Amino acid sequence: MSQDTHPYIGFEEYSGHVPPSIPLAVQQATSRFVGGRAARVAELPQWEQLRQIGSDIRQHTIENMDVYLTRLEERVEAAGGNVHWAETAEDARRIVLQIAKENNVKNVVKSKSMATEEIELNHALEAAGIESLETDLGEYIIQLAGTGPSHIIVPAVHLNKEEIAELFSEKLNINAPTDPIELARIAREVLREKFLDAGMGISGGNFLIAETGTLVMVTNEGNGRMCTTMPDLHVAVVGIDKVVPDWESLTVFLKLLARSATGQKLSTYTQFITGPRRAEGEFGPKEFHLILLDNGRSKILKDPVGRDVLKCIRCGACANVCPVYKNVGGFAYGSFISGPIGAILSPQMLGTQAARELPYASTLCGACADVCPVKIPIPTILRHLRRRVAEGDAFAIPTISTPIRATANLASLALAQNWIYRLGARLLPIINPFFRKNNWLSDMPYPLSRWTKVRPLPPFGARFRKWWNVRSTKETESPR
Amino acid sequence: MTNPVLENIRRSLGRTVQTPVNLRPDIYEPRVPESVDSEIAHFLDEVKKLSGVGQELSPSDIDSSLKTLVAEQNIRKATVCETPHLRQLGITEILNSLGVELVSPNANKHEMAQCDLGITEADYLLPETGTLVLRSSTEKPRGVSLLPRVHLAIVRPEMLRADMHQVFAESKNDNYLVFITGPSRTADIELTVTLGVHGPKNLYVWMMMGRRTNDAMNVK
Repeated sequence: MSQDTHPYIGFEEYSGHVPPSIPLAVQQATSRFVGGRAARVAELPQWEQLRQIGSDIRQHTIENMDVYLTRLEERVEAAGGNVHWAETAEDARRIVLQIAKENNVKNVVKSKSMATEEIELNHALEAAGIESLETDLGEYIIQLAGTGPSHIIVPAVHLNKEEIAELFSEKLNINAPTDPIELARIAREVLREKFLDAGMGISGGNFLIAETGTLVMVTNEGNGRMCTTMPDLHVAVVGIDKVVPDWESLTVFLKLLARSATGQKLSTYTQFITGPRRAEGEFGPKEFHLILLDNGRSKILKDPVGRDVLKCIRCGACANVCPVYKNVGGFAYGSFISGPIGAILSPQMLGTQAARELPYASTLCGACADVCPVKIPIPTILRHLRRRVAEGDAFAIPTISTPIRATANLASLALAQNWIYRLGARLLPIINPFFRKNNWLSDMPYPLSRWTKVRPLPPFGARFRKWWNVRSTKETESPR
Repeated sequence: MTNPVLENIRRSLGRTVQTPVNLRPDIYEPRVPESVDSEIAHFLDEVKKLSGVGQELSPSDIDSSLKTLVAEQNIRKATVCETPHLRQLGITEILNSLGVELVSPNANKHEMAQCDLGITEADYLLPETGTLVLRSSTEKPRGVSLLPRVHLAIVRPEMLRADMHQVFAESKNDNYLVFITGPSRTADIELTVTLGVHGPKNLYVWMMMGRRTNDAMNVK
């Protein structure tokens, strides 16, 4: 969705009444992933070196993005694929619908993809009368339930097996048992038919290799393979930030991704797709379309601090360690991406107006930056965005009220001018007798009382300069 | 021809079409393989950790092992890749003699989906992660390792590679490649690990011993 039209994200309001089941379920998931990740990292003595290389390569790639995307387009086309550029989410939806229409597609199977969530593709397909089915088990469940994802890796973690069984019973007209293994078997059977009958498979992509024009997809369930192998048509919607220079550099990210995300050494299936199939009998689509999605990313590149968010490889490790995320879950972030990375991406992509609360959805504890496999300085970007939110930017008016900003400006002026500062230091003790109680200034007039009632000030009177002068004189005089 | 996305990127980065690209940062040295025996052991061990069944097998055991597999997994229909090595092992003949119906690996997808068992080789093996690397062609179509509920990979020590680097160096110009690391899995319902949600539920890897050469690991 574009900068101006995204609905306001009320993080604070939402987090005020999170259903208690959410933090419980989310923390079960995050603690498992945190433990798995820690075990994998401990096995790999060169982990820190790997992170540094990963960070360097991502930095290099975003700083030369035009070059690698140009190469990518050339190579995809040389392999017989079609490349489409989508400047906005609207463009991307239009391109997908057009491909579907040209091929008379009625049913679409989808593998989990952040990019298609970002452009809200399912709504557009349904509005055009095309059935669009999510096939990742978790995504399938939340699609049936009609809600959003609560976690990047396990999107339906907020629902328990009883709720899922009820959902299956109601929506599929069956009598579903409350056993996770049985529920997965039912989903396998239902979706198997859909894979075989679908006219088009839609996927995202984890990486795009510029060297050969290759789409890399990392999945565990096998639905990603189904979507890209069974239908005659494969459309991949991928953000322009997913490009990597070559296969050598890809090895670094494959080693970092699964370990950081789920604590696996590699996810079950990693596919490398370069254009459509070459022979009839080998399976795979006859046609391959790659939609390169900008949707605000090229604008993010302009901000040398904020642009580091585009280094992200979407592992979710930052969310798993975030004390705020663990207590509010994914919904609170009001967009397709949650957790600390969502808090720095959404304001830049959707505008600091709609997402202005998100940079504050953090304690700045820094745990996210410690685990990030590509070393994104998330707390630094959060502070940077807080400043943009407070002072306003090209897209938004400042959120801090005029009197407060005026006061802050005055204070910075006073603190910067020697004589004003000294004058203030002399004058302030005059007010002590009026507000002093038990050696504290606890009862200042409104609006200062809002602060002093909770945190009383010590009386003014410390003569720092005097003290300093005396001290330094003493030191010079004292024998060495 | 101007491309607005590329134009926007260049404007944001302060670059032009002529701006040269720096060399990308260096990466680390690839892994050095250990002895063939320890690489095999490492690989099979990883397969087991992933809930797969990994074992060494000599060609003379193939009859009895297939017989056990067919009985254990209640296999009625199977599809087998048409590679020289699998033909040489006489896989289709053995399955026939066990009363298993065979479906061509190039059959249409609905027919393939009826198969209980898919038998493939692998093109490369990665010991560190227990990964099978499969290329795609008419002889070894992508569906064989995906649609049946049981996947059996019959592999040989000379398929072992030290690291992904070697695999990519040999196969990056292919139009399709898949890494298979264990059976299909999900933990989407209450974090309960469930195998076989879309892909195969059971993965068997048989390392054929017998034809090993001493320089097997020197293949680059």
